[in-house]
Amino acid sequence: MVNKKRILVVCGTAIATSTVVAKKVEELLSKRGIAVETRQCKAAEIRSNLNGVDLIVATTPIPKDINVPSVRGLAFLTGVGEDDAVKEILQKLGMEQ
Amino acid sequence: MSINDIVNALGVTVLLPIVIFVLALFFRIPAQRAFRSAVVIGIGFIGINLILGFFLNNLAPAAEKMVEAAGVNLPILDVGWPAAAAIAFAGRIGLFIIPVVVLVNVIMYVLRLTDTVNVDVWNYWHFAFTGGLVHAMTGNVWLGITVAALNAMIVLVLGDWTAPAVQQYYKLPGISLPHGFSAAAVPIAIPINWALDKMHLDRIQADPEAISKKWGFLGDPVIIGLILGFVVGILGNLQTLNTANAWFNVLKLGVAMAGVMYIFPKMVAILMDGLIPISEGVRDFMKTRASQRKFYIGLDSAIAVGDPAAIASAMILVPIAIVLMILIPQNRILLAVDLAVLPFMVVMTIPITRGNILKTVIIGTIIIAVGLMVGTHMAPLFTEAARAAQFEMPSGATMISSICDGSNLLTWVMVQLMRLSWFGALVLFLIGLGLAYLFRRNRKTWERAAGALEEAEEAE
Repeated sequence: MVNKKRILVVCGTAIATSTVVAKKVEELLSKRGIAVETRQCKAAEIRSNLNGVDLIVATTPIPKDINVPSVRGLAFLTGVGEDDAVKEILQKLGMEQ
Repeated sequence: MSINDIVNALGVTVLLPIVIFVLALFFRIPAQRAFRSAVVIGIGFIGINLILGFFLNNLAPAAEKMVEAAGVNLPILDVGWPAAAAIAFAGRIGLFIIPVVVLVNVIMYVLRLTDTVNVDVWNYWHFAFTGGLVHAMTGNVWLGITVAALNAMIVLVLGDWTAPAVQQYYKLPGISLPHGFSAAAVPIAIPINWALDKMHLDRIQADPEAISKKWGFLGDPVIIGLILGFVVGILGNLQTLNTANAWFNVLKLGVAMAGVMYIFPKMVAILMDGLIPISEGVRDFMKTRASQRKFYIGLDSAIAVGDPAAIASAMILVPIAIVLMILIPQNRILLAVDLAVLPFMVVMTIPITRGNILKTVIIGTIIIAVGLMVGTHMAPLFTEAARAAQFEMPSGATMISSICDGSNLLTWVMVQLMRLSWFGALVLFLIGLGLAYLFRRNRKTWERAAGALEEAEEAE
């Protein structure tokens, strides 16, 4: 087993929407047999939480100068386009199936 | 044993899980998943109650000492949104809130009174909160449920009204933000913004990215809690600051408050976790019923508060709020937990001011100043609602409130009207209906007032 990929889930509070998105991402990826580690933070705290992070999934705007790949997490809240969002996550993690 | 006795004996940690479990089955959640999430919701309440007790036990004596030592009399403690949400869901109205709001939303959609499908089940608590205050005031559950439904109705219209502006400014296609707290600022922000434009303040621009990059740490809840604890501690020990013991107390209070700021929301996250399956059930239920025409998906305004302008404005508002707290003579609220969520207050003002920090801060200052008075006035009801939901409140003069929902002007107006009982409910219903009707007749004009661009501008 390779190292688990680390995903930082970002929203405005680090509580409300990011909890939903983090659980959803874990669930959808584990269905595809991929275990990931998620961590949640607020948009304002991104910079101090980037250590070891492979990907950011954000439900809220994030600063433009962050150099970790990021995916918009809105689909996991609306339920529209979840599959595409999962594909984008896999692609940006370099784990295309 | 009456039903009331059973309800009181079981308490929220058992009762709400049972209600949520039954509801989850209704919304076609598999039993096993429904069961686990229902239990997790009970656990969330246990966590919130623990931290609330810790918070009150630390801050209440410190606030009392502040009166003696410094003459600063702020006996109403700001327990913040985590406690407000828990009180709302744990109260009698909270048990009914999910089906009530879903019903209001579906009816309004079918009657073409709203275009929003509010799938943000978590934030139904704002409506349950208003209901809880009215229940505490009147002792009548039906009045409480009615006002919660009316609150949901009015906020749905506010969500429609602001949707194009929010979609354009935050680049959130198809989304609206029918959020009980954030949206309530819109009717206040629009006229003030208009007046500020007349004064040409829209010409003064500050760079939000630069501000939030440089001062961002001041918006960190841990730092806010630490500073707050120090300030309250120093004021409470003003006469004994030459002793080492006084400083030990100051430092301990600082770390205790930082701890509350850090841990409290994490307890709410447990509650959120438990609500996920039912949220998804409600979402699918409503989406399949809203197939006849296009709709906005109503989400939590948390998806926009990461905006640099929101973060920067809220950060500037933290010290302003603390100064207002001391300067406004009518105020009795000691600001604490909700200082960390001021971005929610300004997030829907920002499309109106088009991201102008100065205008947003002025509008936010006015909302906080009014809010402190409103919150002071509503604190007895807030405290009573907390007691009714079986949260342990300190004895003596201490009361609780919060600068977000406890000081929400829309909530206050609704509660005041409900003093007229059913007649007040009728007035609110007509206000909601009138708002929906006027908005739909003058749609483009209203949407532009909320910050939407002209189509020509948009195309650029």
